[in-house]
Amino acid sequence: MDASTRPTITQTEALALLAECFNVPADSLHADVERESIEDWDSMGALMLIAELDERFSLELTAEVSREMTRIGHVLDFLRAHGVLREGD
Amino acid sequence: MAWFFQLQEGPRLSQSNIGGFRIAGVSTCLPPLVVDNLDPALGFAPEDVRKVVAMAGVRERRVVASDVTSADLCHRAAERLMERLGWAPETVSALIFVTQTPDHFLPSTSCLLQQRLGLPDTCAAFDVGLGCSGYPYGLYIAATMLRGGGHRRVLMLHGETPSRFVSPEDQATVLLFSDAGSATALELDDDPASGGHFVLHSDGSGAEGLILRGGAFRDREPANPRHRFLEMDGAAIFNFTIKRVPALIADTLAFAGKAVADVDAFVFHQSNRFIMKHLMKKSGLPEERVPFSIEDSGNCGGPSVAVAMTRRLLTPPPGQRQLWMLLGYGVGLSWGAALVPVDERTVLLHDDGEGL
Repeated sequence: MDASTRPTITQTEALALLAECFNVPADSLHADVERESIEDWDSMGALMLIAELDERFSLELTAEVSREMTRIGHVLDFLRAHGVLREGD
Repeated sequence: MAWFFQLQEGPRLSQSNIGGFRIAGVSTCLPPLVVDNLDPALGFAPEDVRKVVAMAGVRERRVVASDVTSADLCHRAAERLMERLGWAPETVSALIFVTQTPDHFLPSTSCLLQQRLGLPDTCAAFDVGLGCSGYPYGLYIAATMLRGGGHRRVLMLHGETPSRFVSPEDQATVLLFSDAGSATALELDDDPASGGHFVLHSDGSGAEGLILRGGAFRDREPANPRHRFLEMDGAAIFNFTIKRVPALIADTLAFAGKAVADVDAFVFHQSNRFIMKHLMKKSGLPEERVPFSIEDSGNCGGPSVAVAMTRRLLTPPPGQRQLWMLLGYGVGLSWGAALVPVDERTVLLHDDGEGL
């Protein structure tokens, strides 16, 4: 799967995906939520996110980039930069 | 000269189709001490432990006593296997010991095992320093020795005691790793269907992902006490695994001219249940053909491939031949696969290490 064939999702769907990875209600997440406030966004939550992005979008989230993500908005930025986040929905 | 110039072109793939040998038997030995990961006496926060156990899938680990080594576990496994196969020691002409937990830096632990197993001084013996990928690599070396001539029977021992190098404070590794020894007996076989396909890889650029920095000759007396223990970058290793292993499976199938449906068992290094399930799904492998032994045997390094075989698979019924893909991946970084036939003659043995 390359960038041209990669599926896209809305921000609402992206937040639902993250909520599933981090075991929190989807409506509790928005771009400004800090990583440290999400109990399950630990090393295992990071693996969950890496696995989801690989499985659904064939997108590689490296360990370095994953560690630098300190709030939900950083994940959304990552998805946007890779053409996964569909704007305007 | 054409062949010469052909050899000079681009990178070669380490893919080998080696005929004329068979796996006569696989034997494993676990230490008798069983540690329950949910035991509160371990001192980790119960909720953290529950999460690690749920994800990694390790409910029980098998841990050696402080005076027991990989060589002891492999010795037990090899003795039992030779006895079952009726192999007289003087018929074995090579012993390969694959480990990253040797008895000593020197001499090679294989020499000590040659003596302990009563093998003759005409037996070649050497160590191979590989970890999680060690099983297919060890088989490959044994197979090439058999095909190289002069050998009829080779023992490939693979053992690890990671419990001896994890930091007691690092719950991510303490709760994951377990100890095991294995012995695999290979011999010449003139059946045209015998042999195996091997695909091997390495990438040292990822060495930092799983490393024990101190104690060897780069840093004999580490100033940082943490460097005496294993350091694992779980996310980096996970990324390596999901990128490399599905490609390894696909390449091995293609090299052997086989499809997923032709393979009766995909025996993974038992790294972590979450990772293995992801690999299984990504490669489209049917669940019933992927044995899991991690729940009660932990991640015991490369020997976990042998443990999954002896504890979860059965010798095929008489008259049937099966094809098993044996997959090792991890520290190095290093990864490899062996696609080998097994039949009713292949002995599978397991020992729970009583008395060790």
